[in-house]
Amino acid sequence: MRRRTAAVMATILVATLGATPVLADELSVFNSKSEIEEQMEDMASDYSDENDVDMEVYYSQDTVAAHLSTKYASKDPYVLSMVDAKDIYSLGPDHALDLSDQPWVKDSSQIISIDGKVMGFPVCIEARGVIYNADAIKKITGEDFDPASVKTLDDFDALCQKLVDGGMEAPTGIMKEDWSLAAHYLQEVYEEREDPSAFIKGLHDGTVDLAKDEKFNSLMDTFDVLMKYNYAKDAPIAAERETTEQKLAEGEIAFMFGGNWDWSVINAYDYSENMGMMPVPQNTDDGSNEKLVGGGSKYFFIDNSVSEDLQKQAEDWLNWLVNTDDGKDFLVNTCALVPAFKTNTLDVSDPLGKSVKSYADDDKLIANYNYDPDDHYSVCGASMQKYLAGEIDRAELAKEVEAYWQGATLADPAVTGGAAAGTEAATEAE
Amino acid sequence: MSENERAARNRKITKIIMWIVLLILFIMIVFPFIMVVINVFKTKADINSHPLALIGKHGFTTKNFPKAMKKMHFWRVFGNSLIITLSSTVLTLLLSAMCAFVLVRNKWKACTLLFTMMIASMVIPFQVLMVPLVSFYGGLLNVLNHRLTLILMHTGFSLSMATFLYHGAIHTNIPLELEEAALIDGCTRWQTFWKVVYPLLTPTTATVAIIDAMAFWNDYLLPSLVLTDKSLYTIPIATQVFYGTFSTDIGLILAALLMAMLPILILYVFLQKYIVAGVTSGAVKG
Amino acid sequence: MKRNTMSYKVRQFLMFAGIPTVLFIGVIIIPFIYGLYLTFTSWDGVSKAKPFVGLSNYAAAFSDTAFWTAMGKTVLYSAISVVLVNVLAFLLAYLVTSGIKGQNFFRAGFFIPNLIGGIVLGYVWKFVFNRAFVTIGKSLHIGFMETSWLATPAGAIACLIIVSVWQYAGYMMLIYVAGFMSVPKSLIEASQIDGCTKSQATWKVIVPLMRASFVECLFLTITRCFMVYDVNLSLTKGEPFNSSVLAAMHVYNQAFTYKNYGVGQAEALILFIVCAVVGVLQVQIGRKGEVGA
Repeated sequence: MRRRTAAVMATILVATLGATPVLADELSVFNSKSEIEEQMEDMASDYSDENDVDMEVYYSQDTVAAHLSTKYASKDPYVLSMVDAKDIYSLGPDHALDLSDQPWVKDSSQIISIDGKVMGFPVCIEARGVIYNADAIKKITGEDFDPASVKTLDDFDALCQKLVDGGMEAPTGIMKEDWSLAAHYLQEVYEEREDPSAFIKGLHDGTVDLAKDEKFNSLMDTFDVLMKYNYAKDAPIAAERETTEQKLAEGEIAFMFGGNWDWSVINAYDYSENMGMMPVPQNTDDGSNEKLVGGGSKYFFIDNSVSEDLQKQAEDWLNWLVNTDDGKDFLVNTCALVPAFKTNTLDVSDPLGKSVKSYADDDKLIANYNYDPDDHYSVCGASMQKYLAGEIDRAELAKEVEAYWQGATLADPAVTGGAAAGTEAATEAE
Repeated sequence: MSENERAARNRKITKIIMWIVLLILFIMIVFPFIMVVINVFKTKADINSHPLALIGKHGFTTKNFPKAMKKMHFWRVFGNSLIITLSSTVLTLLLSAMCAFVLVRNKWKACTLLFTMMIASMVIPFQVLMVPLVSFYGGLLNVLNHRLTLILMHTGFSLSMATFLYHGAIHTNIPLELEEAALIDGCTRWQTFWKVVYPLLTPTTATVAIIDAMAFWNDYLLPSLVLTDKSLYTIPIATQVFYGTFSTDIGLILAALLMAMLPILILYVFLQKYIVAGVTSGAVKG
Repeated sequence: MKRNTMSYKVRQFLMFAGIPTVLFIGVIIIPFIYGLYLTFTSWDGVSKAKPFVGLSNYAAAFSDTAFWTAMGKTVLYSAISVVLVNVLAFLLAYLVTSGIKGQNFFRAGFFIPNLIGGIVLGYVWKFVFNRAFVTIGKSLHIGFMETSWLATPAGAIACLIIVSVWQYAGYMMLIYVAGFMSVPKSLIEASQIDGCTKSQATWKVIVPLMRASFVECLFLTITRCFMVYDVNLSLTKGEPFNSSVLAAMHVYNQAFTYKNYGVGQAEALILFIVCAVVGVLQVQIGRKGEVGA
């Protein structure tokens, strides 16, 4: 027994000690956009061969913050990390390399700077609005659908009614996910105004009466109409995202609030030819019903603790992505993303991305507000879900959102003091 | 009808009722698994729109398997998983049985302390240890990214529960007289343990082997923290390429799941025999 | 043999428990102590600075109502699940060891749920609750099945319990089966010679000897239920309106999603202490009257 045990142990040790440790000169890239993981890996292997570097792409199921905190805890950071805008603000000051001297800095309006140092490289532009299925609408109305014809809520309501009369059981779908409801929809209440920072500060100080706020009511009026025609009206909280998107793709419903990233879900189904994105219809004349909301989404930063050689390799790759034909082609055609740099003029391939590109080119994007505290989407998302399920009314929703902000720790540098950071944020938010 | 016949008939009826109860429970419990098997042969669109249909609108497909295998580098990650699971399981089995033996048979303070700490440690949420663990072994000692590190960590984490299970088995089922007889015959404690006690623990060994092998084979969090080099990836880390925030290719996940669970299922069926055969033969000697 | 000297004891202990002790301290105790230290800082999980803040994280944890709500729900969920899991697991183990036809097949079948984990588990069950049940409910006009249970707070917790019972019953069955199998055949035979019927033999002879199995299964289910995270995440994600967020999920969100690492860590410790007290008490009580063979 003992001899056998010893033999087993010895085998194990031999088998395992053969493992090689990581190479210290690997150009590691953390990708947090799962839908392009395969494309990134293929690109990395081609790029490595052509440029004599060792590029390797990584992805994690974990949240970005949790994953990166374990990487930093083990002092084994990625050379390049793709994160959300808010993560640049939290990670950047400690860990990001200053990229102010890079040639691409002048070519994008979406770059993130902190204290005058360029830290975030925008990967693409993403925007939010109402996704429509023009084919499904045409099938019932008999006319080509012109999204510009439903700018106001009254028009939108009338069209939905017409679709119902024409035999479409339910024209809309609502994603019940908290990030969609709070971080994307409710978020527009903050964003569609002159000075979001001041508004947030007002909410925090308790000087804003949300229930009486014009924008809040305008957007919630639209939300009510979306709810009225929701295919999952009986159990809105049980609606699954994949199902909602499939219904939209196949024309069973005609409208859903979402963003151009939804294309990666829609294109897995038998989608209709003519789809696109339009602004959220509202009875307003402030122009917000002619614009999508969005901007730079996902940012790369280079870690400042890795070797200079690796930092240089990472900078070269970013330049490759922005300034070479291969790089531009990779971003637009291979990954189907909307470029954030004006040097990249390739045509976007997917219909939702096309809509976003045309709004961006016409300067019709309302900027993202990137300073929500980390628990905003979860806490306010729960309130929005309660509203969606009919558990609370609009006044109670307003109360809950107000209560959240009054108890929240603000992260917005324009509000919390940092004067230099404040101006920086203002220029960056353009 | 004689007393015996009636008893025999009653036994038969009880058997049939038991069998029916089992069958109903079986169908209830296996239902989700059947869903997996049905849907693995469909395209993503069909899985989502007609999950109950035997064959989807787009027809029967086996494409999910080769596609999943290619995407996750199946054979490489399979090999890694195999080495790591086997080594960790064997180590855990041997070490925890030894540990449990000394803990049951002695009332020393060190034993009580260790056993109490082990039991308490089983209720530490892993999230508490996650960041400190990588800071210590990665940041300070720089020993991450070795299979051996993962094997030892797996063993360390599973020791408590395995020891706990062996502890119960030794305490209840191993007669002290047996050991004393062996000691009188001139065996040392070490020999007594391996020659007399350990063979008697076979059912527990088989149980612990299944439980731990399965846990190691399926574990995602710990391997993902320890093994960051792609060539060392195990099956659960490799399948994460199929999970996305915005799009999840469920067909590939199901295919990967089926391929990954097969070895454990075989192991389970194989070890079942030992759970059944185990002590019954050993105890007669006692 | 000198079995009472200190050096004998030390040698014995090291020979049998030396390596396990080192591994155990290495992977659990050391990180645990470091984790304990982190609860006294206001670290956010990623910054370089770890400012020392004393007990304020604990103060925050104790006044975090969301945490205590989650704790309350966890206790409720655990209490119901633990009872159901063990009743079902014992029943299964009894049935598959009673010499019934095809018992090995059944054993393999009952074990299968354990092999489906993570997101697939959530996906499959979501489908069952959201669509299979609803379709059945609507066609048969069973009122409470016409809308998805996952859409209501009480329903979501019920779904979590159902899935946990489904998942752990097969696992715990394994331990009960080992328990049944460890009872020496000779004892059962002896009892039957003494005139016991089979069911009497089960209740009077086998069950008392399986006390260790009961203690183990109860302990394992209690601790697993208290720390449940995977199923919670994949099945409900805390929805609807964060009503099904259980303690471990709250802790994880607090530490990593909301980036209050110190508070999350402090809450995790409170969860640990509650869970440890319940679990260890249970083992102590269970072991006290144990029947030694």
